[in-house]
Amino acid sequence: MFFHIVLERNMQLHPRHFGRNLREHLVTKLMKDVEGTCSGRHGFVVAITGVDSIGKGLIRDGTGFVTFPVKYQCVVFRPFKGEILEAVVTMVNKMGFFAEAGPVQIFVSNHLIPDDMEFQSGDMPNYTTSDGSVKIQKDSEVRLKIIGTRVDATEIFCIGTIKDDFLGVINDPTTL
Amino acid sequence: MSGEEEENAAELKIGEEFLKAKCLMNCEVSLILEHKFEQLQQTSDDPMNQVSQVFEKSLQYVKRFSRYKNPDAVRQVREILSRYQLAEFELCVLGNLCPETVEEAIAMVPSIKTKGRAHDDEAIEKMLNDLSLIKKFE
Repeated sequence: MFFHIVLERNMQLHPRHFGRNLREHLVTKLMKDVEGTCSGRHGFVVAITGVDSIGKGLIRDGTGFVTFPVKYQCVVFRPFKGEILEAVVTMVNKMGFFAEAGPVQIFVSNHLIPDDMEFQSGDMPNYTTSDGSVKIQKDSEVRLKIIGTRVDATEIFCIGTIKDDFLGVINDPTTL
Repeated sequence: MSGEEEENAAELKIGEEFLKAKCLMNCEVSLILEHKFEQLQQTSDDPMNQVSQVFEKSLQYVKRFSRYKNPDAVRQVREILSRYQLAEFELCVLGNLCPETVEEAIAMVPSIKTKGRAHDDEAIEKMLNDLSLIKKFE
């Protein structure tokens, strides 16, 4: 899910930027440093939408750098266990398939794909029901439930399932 | 990270911080990101180069999965859903997935049926009807 939250960060600024453009420099640096990053607690920072306040700077001993506490609003994407969302299938293999929901990757293992769907290899690997009515392949849109998340320093990775009511393919690229 | 083990969106356990935070539906994110992208386009020749991969992927995603395109419709969806005493998170899941039946809505957002909350099937049905009307007249 996407959220709009307020975060705080201590920004270090080189003395050469001090002057009337100080604020501008701080904001540009903030965007460069923060947008696109990911933390386990807040998820992916998609975009900064505004700066609430910039506190008083504090000169660092020895370096001359100044630290400013900056409060900013941003759009973040944070997946949760138990959350249901829509995603685009990016890769299919016999172990299951990978899907993407915005910046996050979700793996759905073949144990968590309904039992009546069989893996078909070929140049367009896919999972298909025996009557061929439902097919999951690259670029399909699926609705899935996140059942686990793994967080490392720069990425969040999710495990999902489509073996539940109202989950599964919502859009098949071949029928478009 | 305390309490991460207990995280479960189906029971609305998403942590104090996110529970209080403002959630955004895909269509709202789409408006925000497209606006930001347009601003970038004005200041730089190659805006795609300026944005992070996270931004690019998010923009593609929300464009693909926005149920409502027109900004007025987006505003209406939030207004209508906010009449039903939903948590921010529940509101956005419903706005994103647009379930068609009461059963589906409860499967998508199990927390609306938990004890002590005043959502009977009738209220949910009415809410879904209101939602589909916006879609129809968009």
